[in-house]
Amino acid sequence: MGRYILRRFAQFIPVFFGVTLLLFFITTVLPGDPVALKAGEKQLPPAVYAALRHSYGLDKPWYIQYVNYLGALSPVHYTPKAGLQFTGPDLGESISTGRPVTQMFSETYPYTAELAFTAIGLEIIFGIGIGIIAAVKQYTIWDTLATLGSSILVALPVFWLGLMLQYLFGILMKEWTGGSFYLPISGSGGPGSPFDPWVYLVLPGITLASVSTAYAARIMRSQLLEVAGQDYVRTARAKGLRERSVLWGHEMKNALIPVVTFIGLDLGAMLSGAILTETVFNWPGVGLMIYQAIGRRDYPVVVGGVTLVLVVVLVVNLLVDISYAFLDPRIRLGANAEG
Amino acid sequence: MADHLLEVDDLKMHFHTRDGVVKAVDGVSYTLDRGETLGVVGESGSGKSVTALTLMGLIPMPPGRVEGGDVRFKGRSLITMKDEELRAIRGNEISMIFQDPMTSLNPVYRIGRQIAEPVRVHKGASKAEARARAIELLHLVGIPHPEKRVDDYPHQFSGGMRQRAMIAMALACDPDILIADEPTTALDVTIQAQILELMQEVQARTGAAIIMITHDLGVIADIADRVLVMYAGKPVEYGTLDEVFGAPQHPYTWGLMDSVPRAGMTEKSELCPINGQPPSLIDVPSGCSFHPRCPYARERCLTEVPALRNIQGEHKSACHFSGEPWFARGCSLDVQSEVV
Repeated sequence: MGRYILRRFAQFIPVFFGVTLLLFFITTVLPGDPVALKAGEKQLPPAVYAALRHSYGLDKPWYIQYVNYLGALSPVHYTPKAGLQFTGPDLGESISTGRPVTQMFSETYPYTAELAFTAIGLEIIFGIGIGIIAAVKQYTIWDTLATLGSSILVALPVFWLGLMLQYLFGILMKEWTGGSFYLPISGSGGPGSPFDPWVYLVLPGITLASVSTAYAARIMRSQLLEVAGQDYVRTARAKGLRERSVLWGHEMKNALIPVVTFIGLDLGAMLSGAILTETVFNWPGVGLMIYQAIGRRDYPVVVGGVTLVLVVVLVVNLLVDISYAFLDPRIRLGANAEG
Repeated sequence: MADHLLEVDDLKMHFHTRDGVVKAVDGVSYTLDRGETLGVVGESGSGKSVTALTLMGLIPMPPGRVEGGDVRFKGRSLITMKDEELRAIRGNEISMIFQDPMTSLNPVYRIGRQIAEPVRVHKGASKAEARARAIELLHLVGIPHPEKRVDDYPHQFSGGMRQRAMIAMALACDPDILIADEPTTALDVTIQAQILELMQEVQARTGAAIIMITHDLGVIADIADRVLVMYAGKPVEYGTLDEVFGAPQHPYTWGLMDSVPRAGMTEKSELCPINGQPPSLIDVPSGCSFHPRCPYARERCLTEVPALRNIQGEHKSACHFSGEPWFARGCSLDVQSEVV
C-alpha cells in the first residue's frame, strides 16, 4: 500500500509539469493584452505601457516566464547572501486587482468546496438510491421512471437547467406565493441577506449534481443487475441467505466499486471549480474567479488558480484510488495474488 | 418407499420464454438414501443441473415453472413448501457445490467469512464460533494452515483450494444431501482426483448423500452407487453403477461410453462420437427425442415415446428395444450399416 501511494505521487510530477506548460503556452496564443485591458479606454503612453509589461514580466518569452513562475512557486530559495530560505509558494499578483493570487484563492476556494460537497452529497444519496430502486424493481414503473428521468437529466445542458431552476424557484415561485416562498438565485448570501447561508446552496447544488446524479444512478443500476447474475450471488442464495442479505451483503459491495470510482472522479472535477454553475448562479467560487480572470486576461490569476486547483484534484484522485483499494481486496493485495 | 431421504417423483420444470416453452426437465424420478451417491450424467442442456437447482429452489420463477411432479425431502414436499421453509433447508440440510470455483466465491470477502456464513444464518453462531467452525472446516477439506488461510481472500487461493473452500462451505451445517454440479470440470486432472477423493472421505465421515452431476463418465465410475443418464430433459437409463456400466441398455449410454477415449486406442476410427447436437428443448423431436441421432432408430421411434421401463432388477431404460436379444451394443457407426 505504501509503495502504491508513492508510485501515485510520482505520477503527479509529469501531470503537474504538463498542465502548467500547456497553460503558459495557451496564454501566448490567446488574443488580448492584460496591461491594455487594465488601462481601460485610455491609451497608455508607450513608456508606461512598456514599464508595466516589464514589471509583470510579460516582455519576456513565455518559456522564460514559465521558468520564473516555477522559481517563484518553489518553496525553497537559495541566494548566496541569505543561504537556503523556505517561503510559501508565491503565485504572483493579479494584474487587475493587484492582490496576491494565493489570497484570492483562499477566499474563493471554500465556496467551491462547499458547493462541490453539497453536489456530491446529493449525487451519493439520489444517484445511488435511485439506482438501487431501479435495479431491485427492475421492469416496474419505478425502473422506467428512473431510466427516463436520468436520460432527460443527462441530456439537459447544465447552464440551461440552472436558468430554468432560477426562473421556476426564484421568479415564478415568488409570484405564485406572493413572495412568501422562493429560493435565492444569485450569490452566497452574507450579512443582511434574507436567507440562511445554506439556502443559497440549494439551486446551484442541484444544478451541479444533476448530470452526475443521473449517471451515478445508471451505473448503480447496471452494476447491481450485472452482479446479480454472478455465480457468487447464486452461491449466497444456495447458502440459504435471505434476499435482503444477498443484496446488501453480497451484491452491494461489488456493485459499488465502479460507482465509487465514478463519484470520486466526479468529486475531483467538481472541486476544480464548476465554471458553468458558478457563473449562472454568481457563486463566488474559484470557477467564477478563473472565468472572470480569463475575460481580463489576468494571467497570474488564471495560471495560479488552475495550478492550485490541479494540486487539489491530484490529491482527491489519490484519495479515491486508496478508497477503492479498501473496497476491493484484489487491488489492495494485488501484488501477492496467486491465481 | 416413503422412507427415502429424497424422492424426486416425475418432476417437470419448464421455462416459459418468448420463443416458447423450454422443457428443461420433463419427467425425472429418482430416490436417494443416506450415505448413497447418485451420479447424474448427460450432455450440456440435458436438464441435469436444472433438476438439482429446482430442488434447491434456485430456479427463478418466472420464467421457470414446475409443471408437474414433486420432490420430497424427509417426506416434505420442497415444491409446495413456503420460501422461508425452503430457505431454512437450503445450505443447511441440502447444500450445493458449483462448477466454477473461480467465480463462485465473492471476491470482496474473506474466505472464512464466506465459509462460516451458513452457520451464522442457520445455527445462529456468534462471530467467534463461526470463525472457529470455518477453521475446522478448512482443516477438514485439507487446506494447510487453516488458522491463517481463513483470513485470505478468494484471489489468494488457487483453483483447487477454492473448490475445497466451496466444499467446506457446503459442509458447514453438516448437510444430509450434498449436490455437486460438475465440481471438477474447471479443475486440472490431478486436482480433480483429489477433489473426488475428498468428497468420498467427507461422505464416509458424515454419512451425507451425494448427487454428483457431471458429463464425465470417469467421475461417475469413481464415485457413484447409482447412475441416472439424462437426455433432453428426460431420464433414459437408470440403475446401479454395475448395471449401467456393466450392461448398458440405451443407445445414448452406449454412445456416451464410445465417445470416451481409452488408453491403448490406436486408430481414430475406434472413437465413435455421437453424431449431431442435443435437440432444442423448445422443439423436442417427436417420439423418442434421441431418434435423430440414434444409429438404431426405426419407424416406431419417430412416433412413439418410449417409457422408462424395468429391464432387470432396478435397471431401467427408455428405449423400445432394450432387452431384445438382437439389440446389442456395437460401435455405433458399424451397427448403423448392418441394422438400418
